[in-house]
Amino acid sequence: MMRSLLIIAAVACVALLLGAVLQPRGYAVRVVCLILLAASLGQCWNIVGGLANQVSLGHAAFFGIGAYTSTMLQIKFGLSPWAGLPIGMLFAALVSVLLSIPTMRLKGPYFSLATLAFGEACRIVATAATGLTGGPQGVSVPFAGNSWLLLQFRGAGAYVPVFVGLFVVVCVAFTLLANGRLGYMLRAIRENEDAAEVTGINTLGVRLAGGAISAALTAATGTMFAQFTFFIDPDIVFSATSISIRAALIAILGGVGTLAGPIVGALVIVPLEELLSAYLSNKAAGIAPLIFGLILIGIVVWRPSGLVSLVTQRRGRT
Amino acid sequence: MLRMRDLSGGYGPRPVISRISLDIAEGETVALLGANTAGKTTLIRAIVGTLPSVSGVIAFEGRDIVQLPAHRRVALGIACVPEGRHVFGQMSVRDNLMMGAYHRRTEDLGSDLADCFALFPRVRERQAQAAGTLSGGEQQMVAICRALMAGPRLLVLDEPSHGLAPLMVAEVHGAIRKVNARGIGVLLVEQNVSSALKVVDRGYVLESGAIALSGTSRDLQDNDTVRRTYLGI
Repeated sequence: MMRSLLIIAAVACVALLLGAVLQPRGYAVRVVCLILLAASLGQCWNIVGGLANQVSLGHAAFFGIGAYTSTMLQIKFGLSPWAGLPIGMLFAALVSVLLSIPTMRLKGPYFSLATLAFGEACRIVATAATGLTGGPQGVSVPFAGNSWLLLQFRGAGAYVPVFVGLFVVVCVAFTLLANGRLGYMLRAIRENEDAAEVTGINTLGVRLAGGAISAALTAATGTMFAQFTFFIDPDIVFSATSISIRAALIAILGGVGTLAGPIVGALVIVPLEELLSAYLSNKAAGIAPLIFGLILIGIVVWRPSGLVSLVTQRRGRT
Repeated sequence: MLRMRDLSGGYGPRPVISRISLDIAEGETVALLGANTAGKTTLIRAIVGTLPSVSGVIAFEGRDIVQLPAHRRVALGIACVPEGRHVFGQMSVRDNLMMGAYHRRTEDLGSDLADCFALFPRVRERQAQAAGTLSGGEQQMVAICRALMAGPRLLVLDEPSHGLAPLMVAEVHGAIRKVNARGIGVLLVEQNVSSALKVVDRGYVLESGAIALSGTSRDLQDNDTVRRTYLGI
């Protein structure tokens, strides 16, 4: 546990340092921000996907809820995103509990497919409900100049401390869960649900709690994303490929169920995305998802426990 | 301690067990015997709380528990060793035992651990190993210890000797006697009838979801039907 907290602190310090050193309006610092957001998203997914091994492919639903709740509250009622953030988290947690009613009995691929469908359903509803979300043309976060109160800044550099904060909260939440009672209970359910039930674990309650925490933190990441890009539409924030599957990809690539997994995953995926879109988007647009698909297949076949296991396994041997 | 009256239940609209009445006295060891598909596991699930539909009365120490979910029953003192040794394979043996005591919110588990290790010294030797790497018999020991860590008043064992070597069967059955000597009631489900009847005080024979016969283990051993059907004498 101490080691996990040290890892989080070290990554946070490096990110803060880069934020202070790099050109605040530059491209590099923007990539740092994207990596922090991606690592946070992967870590949120990791709570349920890693500890309980419930592979959700619908986390875009919670991400989108977070992004839209804070943005619409700001547009319609002038509410600061700092107030919209907890409201969105609460809303997402509630939705995750409601979603559990039909999905709690599902296992393995059936659970994944149900969550995938749910994420898509959210995207379609958000597209259709023009009165609530602004519909397919999307909405912009009104810009009022640099402001901590409204959580908006002109250059990407100013976001680094905010995203480091999000990253630390999400990672510490994962660490506490993984080493605490709830984490052990989630792992027991992952190992053997029947045995967990007769051992005296409230399997339903534990799954609901884990799912709600994961959903709420994903919503927080969504709010941060909206504040960063200033523009959201249903196809972006409720996207199955660029949010739901990406969240799973980041965690699986790095190492499912480990703290370092999503961090390593984000460090690989985000720069790769940037490279692909910089060099290949003219010649072969849309090749990035294909490449990510191949990477995912490769990892699942050759290194099911992720890139992190390359380090941990070697240490185990010597 | 456990009183069951007119209990029916199953997995859907059609009952698998019907109108079962059964008693276990304080600190008694009772066997539930019967062939495959007789409804033994279904009855166990009704007691433990994992059967989807039940009607009738199950009272545990005077309290009706039919509507309580499984995890609340564990807290009341009913611990179960499920059929097929469900251990948490990737957790260490020690963590498996600790999971059993998770609901007790007490720091003082040392003496309980010591009791388990006294019962099965093998478990102490293996405590740092991943439970999934143990032999079948050792996993069964872990499953029994995990149930004991819950501090039960009644221990329910579903086919603990299933698939074990004869030497292991003897060890497991010996352990059941020792557990019972501590005042913990035991409900033992077995297909291995002859060896089960040596361990228990009384037994019930289940046939097609209903109690066909009950009596002391001596009575059952002498009973013609039991001898012909289960003992093959």
